[in-house]
Amino acid sequence: MEIVKYLVNNPNLIAFDNQEIINNAKIFIKNNHLLFRSGKEFFIFLDNYDKYSELNLDIKENQNIKIYLITYQSRNFKIKYNFNVSSNAKLEVFTNFLSKRKTTASIALDFTLGENAYLKLLNALTFKGRIELSSLVNLNGKNAKTEIELLNVGGNDSEYFVNQTVNHNEIATLSDINNWLISTDNSKLKYTVTGKIVKGMEHSKCHQSNKGIMLASDSEIMVEPKLLIDEYDVEASHGAAIGQMDELQLYYLLSRGLSVQEAKSLIITGYTNPFINMINNQEVAKQLTSQISRLIRRKTNNE
Amino acid sequence: MTLEIKDLYVSIEDNLILKGLNLKVNGGETHAIMGPNGTGKSTLAQICMGHPSYKIESGDILLDGESIVEKTVDERSRMGLFLAMQNPIEVPGVTNFDFVKAAVQTRMAKDEHLRIGRFILKFEKASQDLKMGQGLAHRFLNQGFSGGEKKRNEILQMKMLNPRFAFLDEIDSGLDVDALKLVGENVTEQKSPNLGLILITHYQRLLDYIVPDFVHIMINGKIVMTGKEELIKHIDQEGYDWVKKDLGIDDEDKKPYSLGTCPSKH
Repeated sequence: MEIVKYLVNNPNLIAFDNQEIINNAKIFIKNNHLLFRSGKEFFIFLDNYDKYSELNLDIKENQNIKIYLITYQSRNFKIKYNFNVSSNAKLEVFTNFLSKRKTTASIALDFTLGENAYLKLLNALTFKGRIELSSLVNLNGKNAKTEIELLNVGGNDSEYFVNQTVNHNEIATLSDINNWLISTDNSKLKYTVTGKIVKGMEHSKCHQSNKGIMLASDSEIMVEPKLLIDEYDVEASHGAAIGQMDELQLYYLLSRGLSVQEAKSLIITGYTNPFINMINNQEVAKQLTSQISRLIRRKTNNE
Repeated sequence: MTLEIKDLYVSIEDNLILKGLNLKVNGGETHAIMGPNGTGKSTLAQICMGHPSYKIESGDILLDGESIVEKTVDERSRMGLFLAMQNPIEVPGVTNFDFVKAAVQTRMAKDEHLRIGRFILKFEKASQDLKMGQGLAHRFLNQGFSGGEKKRNEILQMKMLNPRFAFLDEIDSGLDVDALKLVGENVTEQKSPNLGLILITHYQRLLDYIVPDFVHIMINGKIVMTGKEELIKHIDQEGYDWVKKDLGIDDEDKKPYSLGTCPSKH
């Protein structure tokens, strides 16, 4: 077993590891169905477990829970997670899909939200290799709301194909997507971000923002923001701003004595910190910070 | 301790801005540079700091006799130059505290360690002196700051970094009367034989609080007149036209222009 150290003795851990399930959290598990009856914070860890190609996670009415979904694959894998968030439930999901060496992964995250349900999704992507990530949120209940924050620091010549979709299938539903993308080396980040408001779903709000920094001349970031709006009485917006590091910001920091390398590191830290600060668990935040630092340090040191 | 600018010609995008500028500032002196819009006052500050958009066509900038024109921006800063900018840049996600700490650390020797307790006390004192309010340390650098807060934050950095020569580029713009007095008092407190100040301003009001030793008038990319306090009063009352008239300077802004041509029938 190679569960990451900071999780191995965690009482809220559910690990799918080398074809074995470790259920420290003592949640109800039947086949590929995970039912969260009580408790507030869970850590789901996957490494080399391919017994199920799908996992179903049920969040009951009025529940308020946080799930940290961490995979650490050493070989190619494909998996789909189905989250059913019942009415008035509140779910926060943090994901970090890691790989020991360059692998290929295909991951789907499907969420269905009932009336007044709330989902906060934090996706961290520092994967080595090639990853296809699809996140689909169906806002099926009135007043359902989702906030999606994604930080992708691409390095090691890796490729990221991300497809995010939010469907507003009920009235007065709200979605807000913020993507923070950094491409180092010749990593490739390709994003399709779609917000769809179905006809009749008035008073809905659908927003998305995509920001990207390319740190190398052969870096590549491509974002296709889409809004498919079939109703008049709604709010919707989208934007994408991708480019090199801001020269004026760099000049300002240099003018206070920071070297180019120090200034770039600080600007990137400023870019990643707001995402990291949203992670409630300090250990998870610390792990992500060090992963990002390694990627960025390698890049700025190479210059 | 001297900063000397010698016969400096500077351009940006093929437009010549500074046209043979000469200036010498000694440690402990305060120089005010005044002049109409577009005469190159900010260009002078930016080129001394090493802004990459400006190009030195000829001339030299000497710090204690050593040319700095080949030095990078950060090297110039660590050598003791400081520029309080007219439009301080916002850097989202980077806290004021982390930024100032990093800037202070760049000035330390490799085997020297920052005494964090002492640093925090100094930061808080500077923040209180400038009435920046609680929480400044954790606010993102200049993001969401009012115009006045941005200017006060520049002075806070100056106090923390102890430069040898500081350019204050229109530090008075965006400040109300009380804030102007506060900034003026804080800058005046910093005056010492180890600091040369170059104030760039349009108005007398800043110079009521930071009294200059020399006043220079800059027109068309060079200093055309130097005097003392009486010059400020004269400018405040009569503007710059009398200078141009006295010195016989053609105003390049008043070029004849065409409204277009009318077709004529023959």
